[in-house]
Amino acid sequence: MFELEVAKRHITSNRRGTAFTVLTVAVAVGVIIMSLGLTEGTKNQIIENTVEKNPHIVLGPKQNEGYIHLYRNIERLLSSYPGAIAVSPRLVVQGAARHKDKVEGIELVGLESDKEERLMQVQGNLLAGNFSELKFKKKYAILGVKLAEKLDARPGNDVYIYFRNNSAKVSVSGLIEKGTAKDSSLVYISLKTAQNLVGEGDVVSEIGVRMEDYTEAPVLARDLEPTTKYNVESWQEFNREISRFIGTQNRINVIFYLLIFLIAGFVVANTTIMIVRRKTKEIGMLMAIGATRSSIMEIFILESLLLGLPAGLLGILVGIGFAQAIASYPIDMSSAASGVTMLMLDLRPEFIIYALIFALLLNISSAVYPAYLASRLDPVEAIGNE
Amino acid sequence: MSDKNIIEIRDLTKIYKNGVDVLAVDGVNLDIKEGEFLAIVGPSGSGKSTLLNMIGLLDTPTSGTIRLKDVDVTKATPDERARFRNKELGFVFQYHHLIPEFSAMENVMIPLLIAGKNKDVARARAQELLDKVNLNDKLNNRPNQLSGGQNQRVAVARALANSPSVVIGDELTGNLDTKTSNLIYELLRELNRKLDQTFILVTHDMHMAEKTDRILRLVDGKIVCELKRQGDGFIESKVCDLGEDNGKIRRV
Ligand SMILES: Nc1ncnc2c1ncn2[C@@H]1O[C@H](COP(=O)(O)OP(=O)(O)OP(=O)(O)O)[C@@H](O)[C@H]1O
Ligand SMILES: [Mg+2]
Repeated sequence: MFELEVAKRHITSNRRGTAFTVLTVAVAVGVIIMSLGLTEGTKNQIIENTVEKNPHIVLGPKQNEGYIHLYRNIERLLSSYPGAIAVSPRLVVQGAARHKDKVEGIELVGLESDKEERLMQVQGNLLAGNFSELKFKKKYAILGVKLAEKLDARPGNDVYIYFRNNSAKVSVSGLIEKGTAKDSSLVYISLKTAQNLVGEGDVVSEIGVRMEDYTEAPVLARDLEPTTKYNVESWQEFNREISRFIGTQNRINVIFYLLIFLIAGFVVANTTIMIVRRKTKEIGMLMAIGATRSSIMEIFILESLLLGLPAGLLGILVGIGFAQAIASYPIDMSSAASGVTMLMLDLRPEFIIYALIFALLLNISSAVYPAYLASRLDPVEAIGNE
Repeated sequence: MSDKNIIEIRDLTKIYKNGVDVLAVDGVNLDIKEGEFLAIVGPSGSGKSTLLNMIGLLDTPTSGTIRLKDVDVTKATPDERARFRNKELGFVFQYHHLIPEFSAMENVMIPLLIAGKNKDVARARAQELLDKVNLNDKLNNRPNQLSGGQNQRVAVARALANSPSVVIGDELTGNLDTKTSNLIYELLRELNRKLDQTFILVTHDMHMAEKTDRILRLVDGKIVCELKRQGDGFIESKVCDLGEDNGKIRRV
């Protein structure tokens, strides 16, 4: 392996070229690590901010059925999954509410407050009232804060709720503010009261599930659908926008990484071409003493490859450093409605592997052309004899 | 010197085609015997380097054949030519072209490592050769820590590394002063005698050429005169056009 010997010696003797290549690749790797970490961090934050405000899985009626009839069995089945930490059956219908002369369309949600509390931590969003009271007080209702405003209803007021031809009188026991559009339509009542109003017997319209780890939800959803025949959706499906946003983000990043690859590749290739130029006579002489074309090529590819690992490692350090510096700066992104107030850094271990692979690929591919040029030199011309 | 031909050149022609055709070597026929010490002289542009580069398998002829140890090397593939250059040929050029980052020893080891020898064998052989060129005290010096003559001696040692059939030298003392040139030629002469090493040397300098056993004069790509050593002088071939060198050569 004289090729390796020569390559090593080139590296150690050409400090400036080596430093230049290593720094270029390190900066490229650093930018990528930083971008990967920040993208992942932001993505996770957005997911948490939105996903954690919704059930991770929602199970709906079978096809052609309006309601889930034997929901207790399914509830038990869902609760038996090791990853499921909360299961809450709900009866959700569209109806109306009237207070004095004001009428508003509502989304009426009948629920069992203890289960729903475990699923959604509702109590934390209450401006007034006690969520657990819904379990015992059949005539209590909790209204979205904006809805209450529109109806001009205050806690303690009686409100009429309507579904088709049925109606019920409930008493406003609390107000909820979720910070979403639901605040102007939501009415929480007990499941029993809702079932009486709907008049379809002991049914629900959906069952919400919360997982220990929300990333498991899509898998479980795919599992459940064929076995139960119920319509099962995970947050991924009903939060299409997030998925789409993340997908777009990933595609943009890939383009971004390709551009970095190209730019850094050109710089490294250029440095290598300069080295080849400077070593032309030496290459000619190596050919004269019997080095084959492939050996010459090997020398220059090895040379670049040997720099890949240190460059990659340095780049990882640089990237982590920069990312942490950026992430420590609070930024105002509240207008983005994503709830992200700070850039979060989430460096997964595989990013390190990606970065190293990136550095090695970058170094190999940018050395191929210069190495090929070197291997095709004509020995007589290369040696010259001026 | 044996009677065996190590190189047989037949009708060797090289035409450079860069817009205009340049006939650099014109139908040369030449046999070189094992252990011969041969000089090629001639005016600038007469085709000496071109001929030498073709013999050294660095350049390909336009037509004609070169047989090296009975193998027609004109038909060899690039990799085969590389192997021949490594095993059967040694090169010394006007500049030493040593690898600046390598010590004298390491430079001499490279042809051995290319040949697939392991490092220990290569190191021992390099040491032996550097000893032969009287550089055993400079084994670990890099080219920039050696004089021009010393570097050229390292280059000679490198050329000898794989015990090649032929060592070719193109103006190998062109860059050195007369005294150093003489020392190098004496060294080559000694190696030629001791190792029966074949040398083909191109030179401008008749004084250097006269240290060899046979002098070929090339003009316009053709051998126009052949001089053979006899004792202290040379005898000319029947047809001989010595041009400006006429009179400079000691005759028998
Ligand atoms: N690569 C080339 N392309 C075109 N012509 C060339 C090339 N190399 C050499 N020649 C021409 O071929 C002829 C022989 O050149 P060569 O270098 O062999 O001469 P030389 O005898 O070695 O000269 P010198 O003593 O100056 O080194 C010259 O006319 C030269 O211009
Ligand atoms: Mg020449």
